[in-house]
Amino acid sequence: MSRVPVPKLLFVLAIALAAIYLFPLYWMYVTSLKGQSEIFANPPTFWPRNPDPSIYPETWARRNMSVFLWNSVVIGSGVTALTVLLGTGCAYVLARYRSVWIDIGLFAILMLQVLPASVMITPLYVGFNQLGLLNYPRTAVILAASAKAIPFYIVLVRATFMNVPRELEEAALVDGNSRWGAFFFIVLPLARNGILVLAILTFMQAFGEYIYSKSIITTQAYQPASVGLSGFLGPNSTDWNGIMAYAAIYVTPIVAIFVILQRRIVAGLTSGALK
Amino acid sequence: MRRILSSITDGKGFDILLVSLTMIFLIVMAGLPLLYNVLMSFQQVDMFNLGTFSRPFIGLENYQDVISQPEFGLVMKNTAIFVFGSIIGQFCFGFALAIFFMAKFPFASTIRGLFLVSWVMPGLVVGALWGFILAGDYGVLNAILQALGVTNGTMFWKSDPNLSIWAVTIANIWLGLAFNMMLLSVGLAGIPGDLYEAAELDGANGWQRFSTITLPMMRATIGAVLALGLIYTLQQFDLFPAITEGGPANSSSVAQYWAWQWSFKLFDFAKGATVSVMMLIFVLIASIVYVWSTRHEVRG
Repeated sequence: MSRVPVPKLLFVLAIALAAIYLFPLYWMYVTSLKGQSEIFANPPTFWPRNPDPSIYPETWARRNMSVFLWNSVVIGSGVTALTVLLGTGCAYVLARYRSVWIDIGLFAILMLQVLPASVMITPLYVGFNQLGLLNYPRTAVILAASAKAIPFYIVLVRATFMNVPRELEEAALVDGNSRWGAFFFIVLPLARNGILVLAILTFMQAFGEYIYSKSIITTQAYQPASVGLSGFLGPNSTDWNGIMAYAAIYVTPIVAIFVILQRRIVAGLTSGALK
Repeated sequence: MRRILSSITDGKGFDILLVSLTMIFLIVMAGLPLLYNVLMSFQQVDMFNLGTFSRPFIGLENYQDVISQPEFGLVMKNTAIFVFGSIIGQFCFGFALAIFFMAKFPFASTIRGLFLVSWVMPGLVVGALWGFILAGDYGVLNAILQALGVTNGTMFWKSDPNLSIWAVTIANIWLGLAFNMMLLSVGLAGIPGDLYEAAELDGANGWQRFSTITLPMMRATIGAVLALGLIYTLQQFDLFPAITEGGPANSSSVAQYWAWQWSFKLFDFAKGATVSVMMLIFVLIASIVYVWSTRHEVRG
């Protein structure tokens, strides 16, 4: 009597589940390759009759994507730099000690993590307006988005620092290092991987940031790709292959990085997400 | 002075310096705006006094105005549907998948990791994809539902006032499902396997093992995941402008989108602040639950 091996069956089922779940991504690429009339066909075709990639250069030029994407990169890099700079040291201290003060600090950071951006944008906009920061819209967005990213970064990087053995740092201090030396040459290199993964995640999140940019940046030349996409997207949009081509150009780098670093990203996320 | 300097290089001063830099930034960029928000909800803020610091106080008038808006009840109802629909959907599908992926088969963790790609995608792009999938006449979801025989007619997900809030909710379930699954997997992995073996020897069936071992052991994790679900659902904004823009006739508007519309479509910043303050109360309740359940987790 031959039995179907269970693990193989489960594997096939898992692939099927993943395929169903990731169908929207597949649909984005397929739709972008379809012709205008095929998009509105009913029933839809699940593979384009005449795949036509010419929509990609066309959308890139017509929607001025190089400017939008450059602004996304600027905002993403700014947020990541500020977050790593301010968050790493704080996470280290919060991981190193256990006291009432540390608990209060952690609690405050957790509370800041939960504030919705749609709640923060009104006071931030009015405040930035009074301070004149709206004249530097990308800087304003970077500051606002960093305040949103830092609490999340601290919570997860703290978990990484918790795994660095205290003894190594203490040995460095006994050897005559200052606290700075021990931090930069012993602790940071040991936590490097976790920090790197979370910096990439922070960049990805900031790269797709929408609400702050939409509200603060009114000059088109400074708007990121998310705001550019929203310009021709809405309940009544019809230019679907243009939208899908735009979306594909926008997310393919993120998806590619994610797939390559998948194991590390998942490990970095799960290690601290619940602690 | 020298004592302070040496403390910064060798003692506690180093820690305090690192923490305080970050804390000052967060207080300026998040703490103060939060208080400013509450302050504005009691003021009259319009285009003329937007740039000045002295504005007339009008007491609770903003709150009365907001509550007496004809769409107030509808927006609250939509928020409730969106929040509870999303949380229930994300949690149930996420939990089922997490349990499924605990089984041993090749590449289980790699395939599970692929689900998380939804989480790193820009919200606006996710909204664009679902906006197309949910389209009425040519949307692929309707075609699939009709092919499966679930429905005969065409569901106008985005333009039917009875369905539009569900359109956004479906997209949000897809978006948040993977993150729920990931957190629940972490919790499941923490349950010692010999508990299940012992229960199996005692003759407990699958359901009994689930309800007497999995659920009680997962209590803290489930609390944290549900509270995080509430927090992230109330943070979700990008899907609304991308799929329905709150329409038709506010039938898919929720508190967070309504607050933004007050401020940035109608330029009534005080009303936007007022709706935000109301929302914040719910967020605070959720975060207290979240902090409480993670605390439980760490101290065990």
